[in-house]
Amino acid sequence: MPFMTKRLLSGLLFVCVIAFSSTAFSMHAMTAAGRDAHPVIPQIRHVFVITLENKNFSATFGPRSDAPYLADTLRARGALLTQYYGTGHSSLDNYIAMMGGQANNPQTSADCQTYADFHQTGTAPDGQVVGQGCVYPASVKTLANQLMDAGLTWKGYMGDMGNDPARESATCGHPQLGAPDLTERAEAPSAAVPAGDMYATRHDPFMYFHAIIDAPVCNSNVVNLRHLADDLRSISTTPNFSFITPNLCDDGHDSPCANGEPGGLKSINIFLQKLIPVILNSPAYKQDGLIIINFDEGGTGTIKESNTGTVVTVDGASCCQQQEGPNLGRQYPIEVKHMSHGRLITTRTLSFGGDRTGALLLSKYIRPGTVSSVPYNHYSLLKSLELIFGIHEYLGYAGQKGLVAFGPDVFTGN
Amino acid sequence: MAMMRTLLLVGILLSAGALCVTARMRASAPPAETSQLSPAASLGKKIFFDPTLSASGKMACATCHNPAYAYGPPNASAVQYGGPHLKSSGYRAVPSLRYILNYVPVWTHVQDTNPIEQLAEADTAPTGGYTWDGRYNSLHAQAMLPFFSTVEMDNRSVNELATKLSQASYAGELRAVFGKDIFAQPARAVANAALAVQQFELQDNSFHPYTSKFDQWLDGKATLTPQELRGKQLFDNPNSGNCASCHIDERGANGAHPLFTDFQFEALGVPRNNEIPWNRDPRYHDMGLCGPFRKDAASKDPANCGLFRTPALRNVAIRHVFFHNGRFHSLREALQFYVQRDTNPEKWYPVPPGGTVEKFNDLPAADRKNVDTIDMPLDRHPGQKPVWNEHDIDDVIAFLKTLDDQDVPERMNALGAETAHDSAK
Repeated sequence: MPFMTKRLLSGLLFVCVIAFSSTAFSMHAMTAAGRDAHPVIPQIRHVFVITLENKNFSATFGPRSDAPYLADTLRARGALLTQYYGTGHSSLDNYIAMMGGQANNPQTSADCQTYADFHQTGTAPDGQVVGQGCVYPASVKTLANQLMDAGLTWKGYMGDMGNDPARESATCGHPQLGAPDLTERAEAPSAAVPAGDMYATRHDPFMYFHAIIDAPVCNSNVVNLRHLADDLRSISTTPNFSFITPNLCDDGHDSPCANGEPGGLKSINIFLQKLIPVILNSPAYKQDGLIIINFDEGGTGTIKESNTGTVVTVDGASCCQQQEGPNLGRQYPIEVKHMSHGRLITTRTLSFGGDRTGALLLSKYIRPGTVSSVPYNHYSLLKSLELIFGIHEYLGYAGQKGLVAFGPDVFTGN
Repeated sequence: MAMMRTLLLVGILLSAGALCVTARMRASAPPAETSQLSPAASLGKKIFFDPTLSASGKMACATCHNPAYAYGPPNASAVQYGGPHLKSSGYRAVPSLRYILNYVPVWTHVQDTNPIEQLAEADTAPTGGYTWDGRYNSLHAQAMLPFFSTVEMDNRSVNELATKLSQASYAGELRAVFGKDIFAQPARAVANAALAVQQFELQDNSFHPYTSKFDQWLDGKATLTPQELRGKQLFDNPNSGNCASCHIDERGANGAHPLFTDFQFEALGVPRNNEIPWNRDPRYHDMGLCGPFRKDAASKDPANCGLFRTPALRNVAIRHVFFHNGRFHSLREALQFYVQRDTNPEKWYPVPPGGTVEKFNDLPAADRKNVDTIDMPLDRHPGQKPVWNEHDIDDVIAFLKTLDDQDVPERMNALGAETAHDSAK
């Protein structure tokens, strides 16, 4: 589907959804108990977000997907959101949107090769902070902070974190402030690190907020993914909110992977086949759980070869009237050129969005085989999580006027 | 031509690389200090220093990887010489074995799954593996190479080497560690000998002493001079030397001291070195990752031609031979090449009469496009100023000298050897 046509359709869908959901939103805004007041949010108390990497909707959920467990098996059991969008390129800006509602800036859009502080110079509407950089000041709150304020629990489970302690610590792992991020590339196995280390700080949203990394709770709550199975053994040890980032192979980012695995959707499939049953069989999920499997960004675009070089066009499509935010300051389309093996590569990015990825939700509150074509993005996800947990303050662009949270199109069960 | 092919074939099959090449220098003694070694590692130490395992009877691993020179080459020869009479030329400069062996990752070329990201990303270099071309994924596999290389220790069969091992003074230890029937299976005996060498290299503290002034400075026990600090700034600055982007010099997250390499592959386009006998044939090209010694699928990718693994820089200032082909013999000249390669190419490459500078002349013309012309300071052009002047280079050298381990001058003095520092004086 041509880019403009898709955008037009998204806009039309958005208008329709706004017409439906504004009533629910207004009801919430007018009442003291937001969670109870939302007519369609079920009694979910345990949410597991699993964020995968860089896949278009058609590649993941289309015919002949390399992840049939996700595209077919799990799809049949849950709700497929066909119009779920990332909010930026490359990775990090998407994770920050999910966790704090802050918009892209040039550094987060480039995955913060240097792990540097965000220098705030002002504020903008919708809770946006104006400035440049990576690690947001302590005044910028996250969903994790909201949960703690509400007396709820959370954890981040990070694949491979701490495998190489020289690369990052085993808890709350991030580079030193001001230092290059050595986790930008996966580390293959060596004599000293037999398992290798495919943790990527840029896929761990908690690490970009001083409100988290400066608190002792960071070390107890942002841990290696191997701890999840133990935590799932009882309801009391299962956090209300679990954010799961697989390593760079299991999340499909790399192909081939540093550990020799195939990567891409094939490794996603293997990973989910192992992880999802563990969650599905946990007491907390069975009681009141919700699993959200999404992707940080899509990869929609074209590659055109010619005698003069290669032109890569990245759509950067968005939905839901996503705003660029106060910090990018770009005139789209933008072009970046570089030479690769004697060939000129021109990357044209048409807009600031993260393209269409789709997402899949599983819960006893969802009727198997549900399909929703309502447009959502990462800000919608954040708003939905806030609603689920009865939080009244929407962070950043989660508070964008008219933004739609997951509604009756998703929660179709009893 | 036929002879050249034969020589090349022999070399490709049996040799190249670096662990145990050469001789013609005084025999080196094992490190004096003792460290807690496993029985296999203690055995490996004896094998590492044993010249009787070579065809010449004069070459051990330590001959080229001399502990007095931080397990690097003890002379200024671009390549070392081995074989039965120590007259067979090696192919590449001998690297130091210090520090990196435990941390060399297996060879990989990780890429983004998404083809658009693959193209948009400028830096998806292959990484890891032992030797300049990364073709060995384990140290014991790499350690097998020099035993059988015709230009190194030149054993012609596992039986030959196993026999030598069975006659060594430590044959009893081999039986004790690996089984009393070890010599009944020559291949197993040789494989276990290589495994023992690996354990020695991984375990012995002399391979990773962390005693340099730089290490002391990191620990707050020494002060860098203003010149050394300025040198570090020039080394680090991404808009200047940009060296630290590959030769990482920051502490690890756990405080681990840096190794000064990221193990990535890079094509620098070092000029051809006619000191290497193999280079007398203009058809011979050492293209690193794509051959002539590497033979796997990676070697078939034209984009890999000319790429060599980034070496670590600890103890670099004591070396007399730089880059994979040993083209330069002083640190100053190596640094001058690095910053002037593109601003003053005529200084480094041949200029045919009436022609233009033949840049990157150690590679076939078709592969020269793989040379890095993107990263600072390799993106310069003739007419531009080099990012460093001679004063800057003085400062960078001063910084790099802080990477010398304290034991190196002591060991050299014990041998009566001349250091690169002495030469500079």
